[in-house]
Amino acid sequence: MGGILETYAARAVFKGFSRVGEDAFKMLWHRDRYFDLLVGERKLTIPVVLPEVPAKSKMMIEYRAFTAAFADPALVEHKRLDPAKVKLKVVARHESAGLEMTLAGEDWEYAVRKLIHVVHETYLVFLYDGAYYDYLIETFDLDPDHMA
Amino acid sequence: MSITNDDKTKPQARRRDILTAAAAGIVASSQSGLLAAATGGIPSIAIPKEVPGTLNEPAKASSFEGRGMSGAEVFAKLCKEEELAALFCCPGNYTVINAIAAVGIPAYGGRTEGAMCAAADGFSRVTGEVTACSGTEGPGFTHMIMNIASASAARTPLLVLASNMQISGDDREAFIQTGYQQPITEGMRKYGKRLIAPNRVHEYGGYAFRNLKSGIPGPVHLDFPGEVARARFTDASSLTDYYGKDKYRSESRPCASTKEVQQAADLITRAQRPIIIAGQGVFQRKAWDMLTKVAERQDIAVVGTGPTRGTFPDDHRLSASCSPDALMSADLVIFIGQYCMPSPGEYRLAPDIKAIRVNPVQEDLGRNWPLDLGIVSDEKNFLEALANTLATKKREAWVTELATARAAFEKQNLGHYELGLKHSAATNHLHPAVMAKEIHDFFYKGAIDPKQTVSGSGGWTTGLFAGRWLRANRPGQGVVCAYQYGAIGPDMAMMIGAGAAVQRGVGPQAPYKGAPVLVVTSDAGVAYSMFELDTAAKYKIPIISVIYNNNSWGMWPSAVSSARSMHMYLFQENLRYDKMAEGLGARGEYVRTVDEMREALKRSYEAASKQNMSTLINVQALKEFTSGKDYPPGIALNPEPGVGGFAH
Repeated sequence: MGGILETYAARAVFKGFSRVGEDAFKMLWHRDRYFDLLVGERKLTIPVVLPEVPAKSKMMIEYRAFTAAFADPALVEHKRLDPAKVKLKVVARHESAGLEMTLAGEDWEYAVRKLIHVVHETYLVFLYDGAYYDYLIETFDLDPDHMA
Repeated sequence: MSITNDDKTKPQARRRDILTAAAAGIVASSQSGLLAAATGGIPSIAIPKEVPGTLNEPAKASSFEGRGMSGAEVFAKLCKEEELAALFCCPGNYTVINAIAAVGIPAYGGRTEGAMCAAADGFSRVTGEVTACSGTEGPGFTHMIMNIASASAARTPLLVLASNMQISGDDREAFIQTGYQQPITEGMRKYGKRLIAPNRVHEYGGYAFRNLKSGIPGPVHLDFPGEVARARFTDASSLTDYYGKDKYRSESRPCASTKEVQQAADLITRAQRPIIIAGQGVFQRKAWDMLTKVAERQDIAVVGTGPTRGTFPDDHRLSASCSPDALMSADLVIFIGQYCMPSPGEYRLAPDIKAIRVNPVQEDLGRNWPLDLGIVSDEKNFLEALANTLATKKREAWVTELATARAAFEKQNLGHYELGLKHSAATNHLHPAVMAKEIHDFFYKGAIDPKQTVSGSGGWTTGLFAGRWLRANRPGQGVVCAYQYGAIGPDMAMMIGAGAAVQRGVGPQAPYKGAPVLVVTSDAGVAYSMFELDTAAKYKIPIISVIYNNNSWGMWPSAVSSARSMHMYLFQENLRYDKMAEGLGARGEYVRTVDEMREALKRSYEAASKQNMSTLINVQALKEFTSGKDYPPGIALNPEPGVGGFAH
């Protein structure tokens, strides 16, 4: 697991990366924020992907739809999540949106890479394409001096 | 009358004649003014007859005969031999700018040095040619700073010239404007030198052009103390390195080895969805035809980046400039001539993507973006070698995905437009998405050749919306005015410079010589260069300026939750930039509805194309359109790389 994640650090996808426990990793990533990745039994969890998103908010609903679309059979195969291998769900907790990926089998590399992709797209697609300009300013201090 | 300052056959007027004529002009003007005052009329805005008169004078070659050549003339002669494309300046550094104009280099005088620096940058951005700007030693030079930095971020081959007092006055605070310039451009130039030895003026001219025309370009800053500019030379013996450009610089460029090209070809062939990021280096090396050849050889997607757009046409089936949904699918990226490198996370590319980077300077390979293959090569040489190495391959699924993503992007933009129409109708103010779409339809979907009009955009709100709709369908058709440095304001001046290049039909602008140019910018930005509408009128450079007027700086939402702050972000409401434009000799249009916008564009284009007359269209809007909560979609952030990109 750590080896796979290290490849992303080596590609500078993560700005920082470390193992913080036997089954826990910490990545410095989008918006210069730390993301925790926890490894459970056939489960990968990133507890906070998007902070400050109320559980019943419109944004949370849209984020659930965005992540659900990764399992849409109409999506091109190379972007799609294979339901025979993993299931992805959004977990609303403490006013934030997290992701939980459950493995159907033992293909951990597939699961890790897909989870990293989904988080990456959350920041580079979901937040850009949606009406989240105000959220970006309020939550991440977005301004022209602080775009990424 | 057509105004150019090309060489003409009219005899060179003697200085005494010019002074006499100028005096007569003043008298005539005064008489006209007196007459107007006597009759109660207000005299019209007019171009002085000396403008076309002196522009049409023949060039004057200086020589060592008689009084000999001044240092400024020696330098100007070298600039002419190096085919310096144009000079933009305000008076100051007099001996140098006069010498450059006299040898026949196209020269333009404007209202502020900063704007003239942006104009020189704009001319270069749409041609790839070396241009110059100039100002006087203190205020003129320091006024240029923002736009020198912009040119540096864009890697523009810009020659920055400035006078600089006399060496004999150093440290004595003798009048006037004393200052050490070179430390001020540190970090925003490729090379700089204060010339202190008069006999080395030609030698350092060689230094300047060696840096401007070799490797990765960037601004070169020379400052001229009076002892250098005014020195006299009656023969060549006292000038160091007084020989031609073929001796002081070389056209040799780095080439990749056969093995490296084969490695790149193998990676590309194995990839399923490769994408080329074609940076400013591809444009500056005029390698666009070879880029298209390589892309079509294997159905490789291409996105053009950098301060100049159109190196790869937006309307090409392999263009991913308008296909943001497809970017994440790419499994191999080939950066070619991408001088301003992003980091992963700044581009919408997948975290597993492999990367090849081709760059003419080895030291930059591996900066920001980890490599799978780094190649030191000139962009054109590499593309030629790659075209000769790549076997033909079709990627139908990838091409289909690009097309699907393009359709989705257009649908998203149309969705913004539909919402904008509702907001416009409800408020009687024009929404930026509507403004941008109407511009798009007028210049690309109507009677005008969609490859013709050179456009540029800037501003925050304005740039983000316009960026989605402006297109570049051939090399040099688009300028990203705020590229990377993010300067708000040089846009209009930059596009007047671009307009000068189109007026002359330089380089890729040749097929569209004389066509109007377009700038879309903001009320915040226009304050920095609006006075150059006078310059556009003086030289009959037709520019259509669309000003999105939302009464504020675009980042006003930053002040919403901060006490006592909002006032700093706001202007008076409903300012009439159209009226100001009229006062500067341009046309003004005032727009608040879709129909008014359409009619204003028609009238403006008519005046620009038939009378070389510029227009400012004041699009009255509301700052609240930025808010996604009140007026969805609010600001539309643009994915990079792509049509709306400006960061890298």
